[in-house]
Amino acid sequence: MSHHGGYGDKGRPPKKYKAAAAKDDDDDGYYGNEAGGRGDDDYGDGEKEVKKRDFTKLELKPDHINRPLWACADGRIFLETFSPLYKQAYDFLIAIAEPVCRPESMHEYNLTPHSLYAAVSVGLETETIIAVLNKLSKTKLPKEMIDFIHESTANYGKVKLVLKKNKYFIESPFPEVLKKLLKDEVIGRARIQSENEHGHDGFTKSKTAGEIGGSHDGLLNEAELAAAAEDKETHSFQIDPSQVENVKQRCLPNALNYPMLEEYDFRNDPVNPDINMELKPHAQPRPYQEKSLSKMFGNGRARSGIIVLPCGAGKSLVGVSAASRIRKSCLCLATNAVSVDQWHFQFRLWSTIPDEQICRFTSDSKERLQGNAGVVVTTYNMVAFGGKRSEESEKIIEEIRNREWGLLLMDEVHVVPAHMFRKVISLTKSHCKLGLTATLVREDERITDLNFLIGPKLYEANWLDLVKGGFIANVQCAEVWCPMTKEFFAEYLRRENSKRKQALYVMNPNKFRACEFLIRFHEQQRGDKIIVFADNLFALVEYAMKLRKPMIYGATSHAERTKILQAFKTSKDVNTIFLSKVGDNSIDIPEANVIIQISSHAGSRRQEAQRLGRILRAKGKLEDRMAGGKEEYNAFFYSLVSTDTQEMYYSTKRQQFLIDQGYSFKVITSLPPPDSGAELSYHSQDEQLALLRKVLTAKDDMVGLEQLEEDADDIALHKARRFAGSMSHMSGANGMVYMEYSTGRKLPPGSKPKPKDPNKRHNLFRKRYG
Amino acid sequence: MPQVRIIAKNFMDMVAALPAMKLDILYENPFICEAILRSLPPLAKKYVTQMLFSEGSITAKLLEEWVLPDGSTKHRVSIDRLVQLRIFTESVESGRKKEKSYRLNPTFQANLQKRITTGGVLPREPMPPSLTGRLPSLEELEKYALEQWECFLLHLINSGQAEKVTSFSPSMMRVFQRGLLSQSKDPKLTESGFQFLLMETNAQLWYIIREYISNSEERGVDPVDLISFLLELSFHMTGKAYNLNTLTDVQRSTLSDLADLGLVKLQKGRNDSWFIPTKLATNLSVSLADSSTRKQGSIVVETNFRVYEYSASKLHSEILRLFSRVEYHLPNLIVAAITKENLYGAFENGITADQIVSFLQQNAHPRVAQRTPSVPENVTDQIRLWETDLNRVEMSPAHLYDDFHSREVFEAACDLAREWSGLLWEDSDKMRVVVKAEIHQNMRDFIRGQRQ
Repeated sequence: MSHHGGYGDKGRPPKKYKAAAAKDDDDDGYYGNEAGGRGDDDYGDGEKEVKKRDFTKLELKPDHINRPLWACADGRIFLETFSPLYKQAYDFLIAIAEPVCRPESMHEYNLTPHSLYAAVSVGLETETIIAVLNKLSKTKLPKEMIDFIHESTANYGKVKLVLKKNKYFIESPFPEVLKKLLKDEVIGRARIQSENEHGHDGFTKSKTAGEIGGSHDGLLNEAELAAAAEDKETHSFQIDPSQVENVKQRCLPNALNYPMLEEYDFRNDPVNPDINMELKPHAQPRPYQEKSLSKMFGNGRARSGIIVLPCGAGKSLVGVSAASRIRKSCLCLATNAVSVDQWHFQFRLWSTIPDEQICRFTSDSKERLQGNAGVVVTTYNMVAFGGKRSEESEKIIEEIRNREWGLLLMDEVHVVPAHMFRKVISLTKSHCKLGLTATLVREDERITDLNFLIGPKLYEANWLDLVKGGFIANVQCAEVWCPMTKEFFAEYLRRENSKRKQALYVMNPNKFRACEFLIRFHEQQRGDKIIVFADNLFALVEYAMKLRKPMIYGATSHAERTKILQAFKTSKDVNTIFLSKVGDNSIDIPEANVIIQISSHAGSRRQEAQRLGRILRAKGKLEDRMAGGKEEYNAFFYSLVSTDTQEMYYSTKRQQFLIDQGYSFKVITSLPPPDSGAELSYHSQDEQLALLRKVLTAKDDMVGLEQLEEDADDIALHKARRFAGSMSHMSGANGMVYMEYSTGRKLPPGSKPKPKDPNKRHNLFRKRYG
Repeated sequence: MPQVRIIAKNFMDMVAALPAMKLDILYENPFICEAILRSLPPLAKKYVTQMLFSEGSITAKLLEEWVLPDGSTKHRVSIDRLVQLRIFTESVESGRKKEKSYRLNPTFQANLQKRITTGGVLPREPMPPSLTGRLPSLEELEKYALEQWECFLLHLINSGQAEKVTSFSPSMMRVFQRGLLSQSKDPKLTESGFQFLLMETNAQLWYIIREYISNSEERGVDPVDLISFLLELSFHMTGKAYNLNTLTDVQRSTLSDLADLGLVKLQKGRNDSWFIPTKLATNLSVSLADSSTRKQGSIVVETNFRVYEYSASKLHSEILRLFSRVEYHLPNLIVAAITKENLYGAFENGITADQIVSFLQQNAHPRVAQRTPSVPENVTDQIRLWETDLNRVEMSPAHLYDDFHSREVFEAACDLAREWSGLLWEDSDKMRVVVKAEIHQNMRDFIRGQRQ
């Protein structure tokens, strides 16, 4: 075993990902501007007069009090959460509209073409959408909205791509649409004429089961319900498997605009062998997990699409349940090796899958699948890697490419760039694709890609409802304002320091002291487990060294990471770890319940949400966590910002996503409290000035952001290695900080004290003492 | 023009401020005596009723014995009030003890006795339904009153959103606006104006009525007549029709103003014209402290700074606009967002964070009103923080010196400034120095001395 990195073999500088890097830069721009880019102009800053939307002329229904929502002509929908119909209305709205914000009393949603596409694809029909919406609305529905729904759903969901008995069919209840498609040259050529043709147009007719378990029962009258449950007559024609991708392309909105829904009739697939796996009895999906699964399997087939659940809400159980229901071979893609291990563990935890039928494929563990069906857990990079591989890897990847997968299970779909998706999806043959994510930050380009590459969003849970139900932790979020010290601020304002602005505001002694204070408080007073996040490597190292805490960043090896995480999980002495942005995603640290963020990636809403997600896993007894329980807040998220710097601006932007989910950030202005803090670091001005000198004399390339790309640390690792050389002389230990400090404390009385600063110890002795 | 303070605590403050002679005239009207009685603090009411049927005076000492020791403050307030309104007349015994004693104002006493013994006679008889036909229902009337009042307020704040014209003369309107709007070309709401808008309807009404009364002499109307008419009005029955021909000319012209405020509704039949008092009119004599008829709040503030007000009122939307960005108008909902920019605008107009916060709290929708806090803490904190953020920079005068003759003089000047601890900034390359204004004189003297 050489390297931990997930993709390819050895740490070859990956040319491939140059493109990825460039894309990410664009994203920075996107996040920077995102204030203005939210939806239309709703959240835009600046005093540009928002065009007021006057819908006072809408006619209120006489019994409007009993109805839960208002619908506006521009697609905005307001939902009262205290309405008795809230639950039904929520399920319905989340299926047809994009949530804008979901705080406690009033939700806002937007009706968009994408959201309607998603609605149609989970089996809702145009007329049902309008009827239910009308039933729920306090006013008569605006005509514009009705037109918009008609317009948007005219084409969507009309055509399905079905893989049945290993043959691909294009299926539709509307023969005229199929005819239209066949006029297209590519599709026409791809058609395979079947023998048992009947009917003049030569389409095969069949029946499909209607939607079951529809959650809008109460809202539809019986006739409507009966219509929904009735078997639908469908028409279909078969196409050449080798042409599937081309046909799909032709159907995209930029061509024929009949985007195809993909469904997998896995019960009628005799070709692919079943895996003997089911959920273990103790795996009890929670109501919202059931709901998301019911959206996926609503008509007895498996739909492709994306399920959005907050971190800690049990995404993996949803993934494993889906795989256990389909019971065909499953390829599970994660973002890095650590998370591969975690998925591997989850599969065995929740399902009865025989050990020999599940394997991992990373650069560290290249397991071969035994037998004719099974689950393979690997990373996106391992599959998409285009360079030369070892012979062993090549064989495994051949198997992956050649196998027909029942389910392609994709974790953290929001972090993987579109081109990599394309590659992965075109390299693997799968009947059904399920994407999982916690933060579908809306309406950026990637989401559009995801919509058509994977499928529409099938379900999105409401964070606050999950908090109220005790399923995820109730987090107290706080923004800690740390005033810049005079000296740091003076340097911050100098033009020649423009490159180290970030280092200056992150290293602001007041911020450091606030951080130290919080760590002490939570470690000593509450016995919490703390993660400190810093994007700025210089700061990460400085903080961790000064406070003598272990840290993990891009260059920390897989073995090292595992060791540190293990110590954090099990040791009573390791209660705080420092993470660079490698910790943003997928590293599962269920023990942590406090996050302190000392630096972050500009205005990224997603990063903020991902980080919060690290502590969302609910801990403690359920009854304590419920509102009014003993521990209403059992997790803490602190974002430390230096006042009057760019950070303040970014901070507001970053929090937007969470605020829209109903979280609130409490501002704390004086930490440490005025009457304390003498015992904390950098109390004297001399110390502060020494720190300032250090920041100012550090090399330019060291004070910037850690150069991880895509937040997918596998990819990033290779990039980050460039820094290993320069980092090592600062830490003195190549990322081995944890080894040195975490074991050196708390010597039993009488034992020999450590002879001297471990930094100065010769390499040869380090291991022995460490 | 002096700033008008917006405390419309009580109509009776105004009555109390009338000269003694005018007060005595007022007490000739039994309705007014009752109205005054109603407006008194509870303890004062008790004293009056206790003494109503006893002749002669009661010593202050005896009166004091009526209350428990911990009620002494209330006792003093009540006595002061009674003396102020000339309901009590104070006399000091000429004897050795110089004991203070009180007796009831005889006119007041006689009239109130009469009123209580003969029972509630209405100031005037309502017209029979046969003459008026169907009158508006109480709900309709209340709706009408609120609409009128709101329309008046929209005029008052110059919003241009008002749908109806007002019959108040521009000069009268200016009187009302005095103190509420800034006296510039483009009048903006002042701090007091904002406070005014945030007050309850009753309080607002009192403020306007007070202005209306104090301006009456300029219109050739005796304020006493006006006050007694207004108080009398409060003894009419809501929703009943009263013939206009029972009124004097002055009263009739006053009524058309009151109709504009929503106090009465004027109607015309085939032969008669009549007015119908609304709740606003009949509540006039209710002391504001007692007005527990708080209207229900309608505002929901969310943690994401979004504000939802269950209202269709243009006025409400105008009020929200003072400190937030109104985004949607729905038939019964206004959607707005509190933003930094809008708040800065509000602060600039002299509205304070506390006013905004307490407005949001006082008007919290019943759904969120029981919750503590009714307005999310992060929002109130942020509003206050934004306010303090604006107040971080303090301006103080300072003086810049440059163009020094020589480096020696410059350095000596800097030293001097340092000595006086008035040195703010120095640039030794360009030989410039900034000092506090306090030591300007010393600096100047010093530099002059150097020059010679």
